[in-house]
Amino acid sequence: MKHVDAIIVGGGPAGLAAAIELRRKGIDDILILEREKKPGGILRQCIHDGFGLTRFGETLSGPEYAARFVREAESLEIPCLTDTTVLEITPDRHVFASSSEHGMMEFEAGAIILAMGCRERTRGAISIPGTRPAGVYTAGVAQAYINLKNKMVGRRVIILGSGDIGMIMARRMTLEGAEVLGVFEVQPYASGLPRNVEQCLNDYNIPLSLSHTVTDIRGTDRLESVVISEVDDHMQPIPGTEKEYECDTLVLSVGLIPENELTWMAGAEKDPGTSGPAVDENYQTTVPGIFAAGNVLHVHDLVDFVSLEAEALADSAARFITQGSLPESKLAVRGGELVGGLTPSRISGESDVTVSFRVRRPLRDCTVEIRQGETVLKRRKMAKALPAEMIQIKLAADKLNTTDDLEVTVSC
Amino acid sequence: MLREFTCIMCPQGCDISVELEGKTIKGISGNKCPKGEAYVTQEIENPMRNIATSVLVDGGDLPLASVRLSGVIPKDRIFDVMAEIRKVEVPAPVHEGDVVIADVLGLGVDVIVTKDVEAA
Amino acid sequence: MEQWDVIVIGAGVVGSAVARELARYQLRVAVLEKELDVACGNSSRNTGMLHAGFTYKPGTLKAECAVEGNKEFDQVAAELGVPFKRTGKLVVGFTDHDMENILKFKAIGEQNGVEGMRIIDKAEIESIEPHAGGEFAMYVPSSGILDPMAYTIALADNAAQNGVKFFFDRKVTAIERYIANNCYLVYTSQQTFRTKWVINCAGAYASQISEMLGYPNYPVRGFKGEYFVLDKKAGQFLKIPVYPAPNDRGGFSTHATPTVDGNILVGPDSYVTEDWEDYKCTKDHLDGLIRDGSKMFKQMRREYFIRNFAGIRWKRVDEEGNVLDFKLESDQQHNPNTVNLVGIESPGVTCALPLARRAVARLVEVEKPSVNEHFNPHRPAPKRFYDMTHEEQAAAIAEDPEYGEIVCRCETVTRAEIRRAINNPLGVHTVTGIKNRTRATMGRCQGGYCETRITEMIEEELGIKPTDVRYNHAGSYMFTGPVRSGKTDDSASEGSVSA
Repeated sequence: MKHVDAIIVGGGPAGLAAAIELRRKGIDDILILEREKKPGGILRQCIHDGFGLTRFGETLSGPEYAARFVREAESLEIPCLTDTTVLEITPDRHVFASSSEHGMMEFEAGAIILAMGCRERTRGAISIPGTRPAGVYTAGVAQAYINLKNKMVGRRVIILGSGDIGMIMARRMTLEGAEVLGVFEVQPYASGLPRNVEQCLNDYNIPLSLSHTVTDIRGTDRLESVVISEVDDHMQPIPGTEKEYECDTLVLSVGLIPENELTWMAGAEKDPGTSGPAVDENYQTTVPGIFAAGNVLHVHDLVDFVSLEAEALADSAARFITQGSLPESKLAVRGGELVGGLTPSRISGESDVTVSFRVRRPLRDCTVEIRQGETVLKRRKMAKALPAEMIQIKLAADKLNTTDDLEVTVSC
Repeated sequence: MLREFTCIMCPQGCDISVELEGKTIKGISGNKCPKGEAYVTQEIENPMRNIATSVLVDGGDLPLASVRLSGVIPKDRIFDVMAEIRKVEVPAPVHEGDVVIADVLGLGVDVIVTKDVEAA
Repeated sequence: MEQWDVIVIGAGVVGSAVARELARYQLRVAVLEKELDVACGNSSRNTGMLHAGFTYKPGTLKAECAVEGNKEFDQVAAELGVPFKRTGKLVVGFTDHDMENILKFKAIGEQNGVEGMRIIDKAEIESIEPHAGGEFAMYVPSSGILDPMAYTIALADNAAQNGVKFFFDRKVTAIERYIANNCYLVYTSQQTFRTKWVINCAGAYASQISEMLGYPNYPVRGFKGEYFVLDKKAGQFLKIPVYPAPNDRGGFSTHATPTVDGNILVGPDSYVTEDWEDYKCTKDHLDGLIRDGSKMFKQMRREYFIRNFAGIRWKRVDEEGNVLDFKLESDQQHNPNTVNLVGIESPGVTCALPLARRAVARLVEVEKPSVNEHFNPHRPAPKRFYDMTHEEQAAAIAEDPEYGEIVCRCETVTRAEIRRAINNPLGVHTVTGIKNRTRATMGRCQGGYCETRITEMIEEELGIKPTDVRYNHAGSYMFTGPVRSGKTDDSASEGSVSA
């Protein structure tokens, strides 16, 4: 069994950024474990541009954004085992991984950084009725086939869900000659970014229908048609509004879920608000020395913020590795009713905190307030707030006390 | 005439309202930065876009190399450029930044590779 | 023309069991299946219970075969390498009427030869399964759980390993008897088979085949039920099937059952359908399952939903609609050299081998074939990587490095296992075929990570084009062509951009 100061599970944007930053902080003994043949994660198939504006001040495609981190990691000679899947993480920080080349490996880690990203919500998870023909793909799978494997998945397409990947695939498939009949969203608002509604749908005359959902899937061999219904205020289909669309492909973009099977195996507790692990301001889970950042923690709308978060994590992980522990975080972080996906779950009050959350529904002219006891730490007025956009607010340590819980509220 | 735009220059996606007389902007509001005004001006004049797609690679460790344009092109030429890109097949290896079509259709921009594909 | 001693029509659990039992004799046997794999119909579309046999009328073929099939299953599972757990079952009740029905069926069970059933109190329920509801229960120790798809595959594999030939994508369209040559011509969608014997195991379509063979077109009625499959994370809450007290006719409403793989099945409900392959799930019934399922299984939460499926029990009925027993018949005088099996539904999985032995006995009595000395009842079933200890995993990778590459993350299925599945003894090459042999794509991400790899492996291993990959059925193509091909791609039509 080999000891490694820092094991990073996942060589996507979060893992690479954490590794590079750890090395810069003086941690030499680092190992990235990546299940794919090459590092870069999901960005390798996100060939569209729009990445990097925050992190690099320029707009890049996904592969270019990833390559900047891959090259940096290579120049710093950070070891990365590809084609390697982590099978188990134990609470005492043992990592079991397998690969064809190296067989079964067991490591003992000083710190473990969870950077597994997220997965897509599937047809089964949302229980779409109907038959089970070929031709029903999640947006990410369709994207992998089209952009990585050179396989076109269909010609006449309906997209369910207005997540960013769904809209990006609407444009992508249109560019490749498919006919995208429409994007249907069960919520009364688009779940992806407004710019993607504009440049992916409006640019290509692809209609977006809000408050609609798929209520039947038809065809036994290949998809033949789907039935779309309007939904009411409780998102229940309204009888009599059914409309059948002939199509050979249904692309689902109905949400992303943090990929935390290994996290739970390691004994970390879940934050019910994010479905990801509960972490403190140091991105430390409830298991000492196991950290999480990026989409494994909570799903981000921009990769730039994934990188920045992983870099912040690296700072605390480096301190943990050199000092052996971090200040205990006893203060709870609580959100009001309009606040969703709030992280961190708890803080110590002794160091800087970045609070991240989303509003639960689109709001105009609202006020975000962060309080500790009676003290208002931050008040921010926002002309517009959308669930698609993560809100991040930084609080300096010198403003925080070490006795009161943190409350985040949004009011209109 | 009042026209509404969603700016696509960055992920903020500002809702911009513009007071127009013909093609002349008389008033603009909602943009949080100057890029918004530039975007709207261009959008009224001649909308420009970049595109991202793939070219076929012969003998590579991946079948496709992703590509984008070195700059924006008029929106109504997107499918003309796609038709050109579809004709291309490049031998491996190709690297990020390689030009696969220079000055595509005389539009003043190149089609450039965004991903390394090594020889298999 | 293909010449055979026996043609078995249908590769469901009964057809596969018949094929396997026929392989004990020196006979040339072919199985004709309309789908691209075994158990595509109702053989796999059920709860996967090894039934004890306490709800079937004494003296019926159903009761006889269920008890027989139940008793022998430990040995069958060991021979065929099929995961099986004799979990027992709790039939829970709340009211006096529940108790009456439970006692009624306990008596029936005892008459049928079911052993060990006993009434237990709330405290004992608690000690057996803390998550089960009920004021009292009947504990049935002999009930068990199995994966009916895996069992059918194992039966068919074992038949194939002993010389039986399986033909997929062959829908039987007509059967002609040639008296002079003492043979039948079986016409299918692809070719015609000449055979001495025909055994009808066509499941939902058994009445149609029955008519082709000269027997009546027995009336059947389809009772459809829908299911939820829940994540293994929910599996920790249920270790034993918990059924509500049966209704007056011996039927059970929606229940929760653990699977051998650690998932939970919630369902089925029951309603009449007219369509032979009405396997679609409907919003109303799924909503109903959520409602009723929550009563039996308190952890019925949306975050655990993985997928849904539906199955149909085609029951033989009389003119008044009363459900009749399984039909197993032969008639040397009018329809010589045939065995007809109609109305085989629940508990068909439990009864498959006992029924098969009875069907084969009819043939043996007439034909007196020589015994196949080389018959091997054991089917090799290597331990899954998922089930191995880390030491065993290390040894497996050292032996075959492809064990080191995890293709399906959720179910921890390796490249070595996928490759072996693609080269299965039956020659099944669909994506769902690989799934059913390995569990790849069956986890919470439903193939999001591994499906692109599996389709690629199928293409490489078989040397086929992506457009020839099939998801499940013959027309279930997955790809319409390459995004980029060497020549100009004519199939890509022109799009349009708004002004």
